[in-house]
Amino acid sequence: MSRTVMIVDDSLFMRKILRGILAEKGYVVTAEAASGIEAMKNLHTNHPDIILLDIILPDSNGLDLLGEMIAVCPNSKVVVCSSIGQPMVMQKTLELGAKAFIQKPFTPENIAEVLESLGD
Amino acid sequence: MDMSPYRDLFVSESRSHISAFGELILRLEDSPGESAVIDELFRHAHSLKGMAATMGYEQIVAIAHNMESQLSKVRNGEFALLPPLADLLLEGSDALARLTSEIESGSDSGEDITELVERLSSFDPTAEVHTRYPATVIHSDAESHPEPSTPRTHQFRQTDSFKSIRIRTETLDHLVNITGELITNRYRLAEAVRLADAAESQESLHQLSTLLRNLRDVVFKARMLPFAFIAERFPRLVRDLAHKQGKEIHFQLEGKEIELDRGILEEIAEPIVHILRNAVDHGMETADERVMAGKPFRGTIALTVRRDKDYAEIIIEDDGRGMDPERLKLKGIEKGLISPEQSTEMTQQEAYQLICMPGFSTTETVTDISGRGVGMDAVRETVHSLAGVLKIQSQRGHGSRFVMRLPITVSIIPALIVQSGHIEIALPLNVVIRTVELESSEITDESGRPTVTLGDKSLPIRNLRQALNLPTTPAPESDLQSVIICDIGTTLAIGVDRIVSQQEIFVRPLRSPLSHLRGISGATITGDGRVLFVADAGALA
Repeated sequence: MSRTVMIVDDSLFMRKILRGILAEKGYVVTAEAASGIEAMKNLHTNHPDIILLDIILPDSNGLDLLGEMIAVCPNSKVVVCSSIGQPMVMQKTLELGAKAFIQKPFTPENIAEVLESLGD
Repeated sequence: MDMSPYRDLFVSESRSHISAFGELILRLEDSPGESAVIDELFRHAHSLKGMAATMGYEQIVAIAHNMESQLSKVRNGEFALLPPLADLLLEGSDALARLTSEIESGSDSGEDITELVERLSSFDPTAEVHTRYPATVIHSDAESHPEPSTPRTHQFRQTDSFKSIRIRTETLDHLVNITGELITNRYRLAEAVRLADAAESQESLHQLSTLLRNLRDVVFKARMLPFAFIAERFPRLVRDLAHKQGKEIHFQLEGKEIELDRGILEEIAEPIVHILRNAVDHGMETADERVMAGKPFRGTIALTVRRDKDYAEIIIEDDGRGMDPERLKLKGIEKGLISPEQSTEMTQQEAYQLICMPGFSTTETVTDISGRGVGMDAVRETVHSLAGVLKIQSQRGHGSRFVMRLPITVSIIPALIVQSGHIEIALPLNVVIRTVELESSEITDESGRPTVTLGDKSLPIRNLRQALNLPTTPAPESDLQSVIICDIGTTLAIGVDRIVSQQEIFVRPLRSPLSHLRGISGATITGDGRVLFVADAGALA
């Protein structure tokens, strides 16, 4: 069965690109959110296998949001997707429970590779 | 991966980041140190960088990255966002806007951004303020992104991106046209039903009318945009002009959430720019002059938009030196626009209107906006072409006030159908204050000008036929004359032979050569299939 993904990014442009890539790689995007509040609202009804999370959002601190997401959906694998590529930030997200970090700009192969590596 | 399908989306999203960025910088200048604003600025630069990197637009990445780095230092408390940095960031956002436009048009100006990137990356607030190009380039640690560790204090913002879609504006224009044609057709149908005496059709005709009204409202609503759509550049414009002239001006913008038709917003942007420019250039005194006059050294220009039923009022006010009606009159005489006799009869109100006469503006008051000269006469003309009214008020020493009263929608407007000589003509209802019937004897001659007295006010009266240069026909038998009192900035009375009806009309623009007809702003088709011209009330004065 294809795995389900939720995309959290305030940029429609980014969401659309990710949607394209994910569809091509055989994932099913079940939800999209443009803000932290929207994402959390969604997670109450929708438990995706994977959450692709941009940690810079208009309404919330991405790191706090990451923690909340993992608390609400412990079975979803959160992959942080950001252009902040500092090792310190990466480290912090992984400590908070993210399963992987994708640095923007990404290629479709990047995404596929990282998502594959998550296992089931 | 082929990124071309994402280009349009990139352009539109970049634009909203860039304009929001510019607006926030200005806001920060007014209230420095507001951390939520700095966070927002950072986020816009950051998002833009990420998007551009994905698309492979290296120049945008380079600029956005360096802007982001400097903001990150501000956020860290390394230094404050003082004017030199604000200027530099605005310069950066201007360059981003240009690059985005190039991407949109597929052109390449070959602009060299190396120097700008260098200045952005080496910006040092401790360097002497006047040195914009430091002699020695200090390479800052551009990668010092702070980690957003403290929770932000500002409110959650709800987005509704899944509830809206993007529509091409042509589609909306097309919808308005179809709705307009439907309304015209309904009048024709109503006429046919009346002639055929088909009472059984009345019910469905009535229903059709209700549905059409709903359709019209919904279609118009879809075309509405908040005033903010054009207002983003105004604070920056006033700021830059004021800086250039060494004036201290505080700019206030209120009511940018008020919605108007997209077409009206597009048309009215340049007139607003012109009035704002005039306010900065001519209306506002220098700080020294102000202090000497006992005013606060910092002048204020306020742009206020407010809604009044089916109209929006755009008000531009300054607390500058105001206009001197006597000087305006003298200039009017000098320019041969009015005679000395006329000038003595002129009220203050009328004197202010002189600045809108073609030929009044001298080179010093004509500014060049996007390649064409625009004077106050063009401003007034634009307002009238939108079926609006321009009012000018001023008080010497205290400032001036320009009020543009505009319908919030275009194309379908209520109008008075009047007859003059052999023709019928539609007069937009928004300029009509009231209509009266007068006996010919009530029209008196005052120093060569026909005048009517209504209450305690005497008004000049002009016959529509003369105003439109129609051939004179013998006056109608009746001793009564229908008079329409109009407000087009000044009050005037227009004599017509007969008032036929009042109805909603769908105004279509005229093409050349008909578009050159003076006093006519468009045409409409009546219920019985005839073409009527629509009067440009503003040109009747």
